Amino acid sequence: MEPQQPTFDGPPLSLEEELAAAKAEPEPKPSIETVNESLKDGLNRCPKCGSTDVRLRGSTGMLVCLFCRNEWQEARVEEEFGLGEGIEELEGTVIASGAENIVADVADQLTFKCEACGAEVVVDTAHALNARCHWCRHTLNVNQQIPNGAVPDAVLPFHLTKEQAVEKIREFASKRRLFAHGRFKKEFVPENVLGVYLPYLVIDARADAKYWGKGEVQTRRWTEKKGDDTVTYYAADVYQVARQVNFTVDDLTIEGSAERMDFGSENTNNIVNAILPFDTKNAVKWNASYLVGFTSEKRDLNVDALHPVLEDQLLSIGRSQVHASLARFGRGVRWEQEQIDVGGSRWVSMYLPVWLYSYRQESNGLLHYIAVNARTGETMGSIPVSQPKLLLAAFTVGTFLEGIAGAILVATA
Amino acid sequence: MTADLIVQAADDGVLWLLAAGPAGAAATYWAFYRYYRNTDKSHHFERDTIISPQPVQGGEEKIDHISRTRDSDIDGDNSRKFRERVQRIR
Ligand SMILES: [Zn+2]
Ligand SMILES: [Zn+2]
Repeated sequence: MEPQQPTFDGPPLSLEEELAAAKAEPEPKPSIETVNESLKDGLNRCPKCGSTDVRLRGSTGMLVCLFCRNEWQEARVEEEFGLGEGIEELEGTVIASGAENIVADVADQLTFKCEACGAEVVVDTAHALNARCHWCRHTLNVNQQIPNGAVPDAVLPFHLTKEQAVEKIREFASKRRLFAHGRFKKEFVPENVLGVYLPYLVIDARADAKYWGKGEVQTRRWTEKKGDDTVTYYAADVYQVARQVNFTVDDLTIEGSAERMDFGSENTNNIVNAILPFDTKNAVKWNASYLVGFTSEKRDLNVDALHPVLEDQLLSIGRSQVHASLARFGRGVRWEQEQIDVGGSRWVSMYLPVWLYSYRQESNGLLHYIAVNARTGETMGSIPVSQPKLLLAAFTVGTFLEGIAGAILVATA
Repeated sequence: MTADLIVQAADDGVLWLLAAGPAGAAATYWAFYRYYRNTDKSHHFERDTIISPQPVQGGEEKIDHISRTRDSDIDGDNSRKFRERVQRIR
């Protein structure tokens, strides 16, 4: 917030006015505290036998103790933090503790004191959120919410197994063999797929959207002779149109990594975006044991930076909502102005599971992905194209069509 | 089916017919390119998000009449292009 500047052309604010101004802008504080208190010492122990050899069992989405096979899971954040509720009453920007601003100068290296044997273990939070104590083999998890954006509020566990993901990717690629780049076909090894937790911000919001523009209704249609041709003419009424809609959205999901957000032509990031949505209602409280065996990417975008993205998406949603009310304008509507007022929003940071096969095309440096939503199995990808083969095919079709065209011309001449 | 199109096109003149080759080639190229690269795909958040709208409000007022035009629709119809942004009122 900009501090209130003294003005030269008016009287100073009264004490009451200043108090009211101060009250209107409370300090932004996380209103939803999502720290998992039971894991504070960095050790996630099996509740049955106390072992720390814990990992995710993909087929059930539960944590399993590798020592005694006990299975359990963290609470769903939806109920734990009341996320689905009260969207109509949201005021201002509500930020969960795991979605707070990333502080750049906090080091990525975290040192743990192993509770089991006392050794000091370093975890590089830029690349992993757990490590094994090399002395006693206890797994140490980064479960405190250190202010470097490494620890989100919630995690949606992997559900599809690696074998299922490999099958999806193979199926996707085999439907696109004919014009695939030869080198890609040779080097295609779907078994190299990686399980990655990608950072997202999941947003509930309430908004009021307004649109202004012109709409046209046809009043008459007739044809006139013009030499040998007939020409169709129209008459129409022009209207100034205004529409307004109030709505709430539940679990709008936006990429939390700048690199993923960038849909430029030099990458194929829209592929990862295209496998949304996830069943974010099933996300559970943060527990780094869900990450064992997977890689993860760190969030690097803050809520402030994503506000414009949210506003854009809300404007698009509002437009789609008012679309049905435009039926009488048969000649169409041209929106010219729009306005969005976000009454309130609630931001939760989540790790969502993706099976990612990536391939760098040598010839142009383009990074291609085939991504599988590890909850729904939705698969989307980009396959390097062999330009010569595709051009040849297009040319062949073109020549064939031109041949028919020529035959018709000769026949009708 | 393509041949049908061409026969229809023949009525509209020879030029139209001669364009069939290049047009068909370009269409073939783009159809396959899109199917392989999927550069146009994105998440349909307008449809696949839980949205609870209140009734749409608004109004319209007749401001003009076009008495004669060859245009069959309004210029710049963007009512379906939900993501195409226009002037923002703050
Ligand atoms: Zn156990
Ligand atoms: Zn130890």
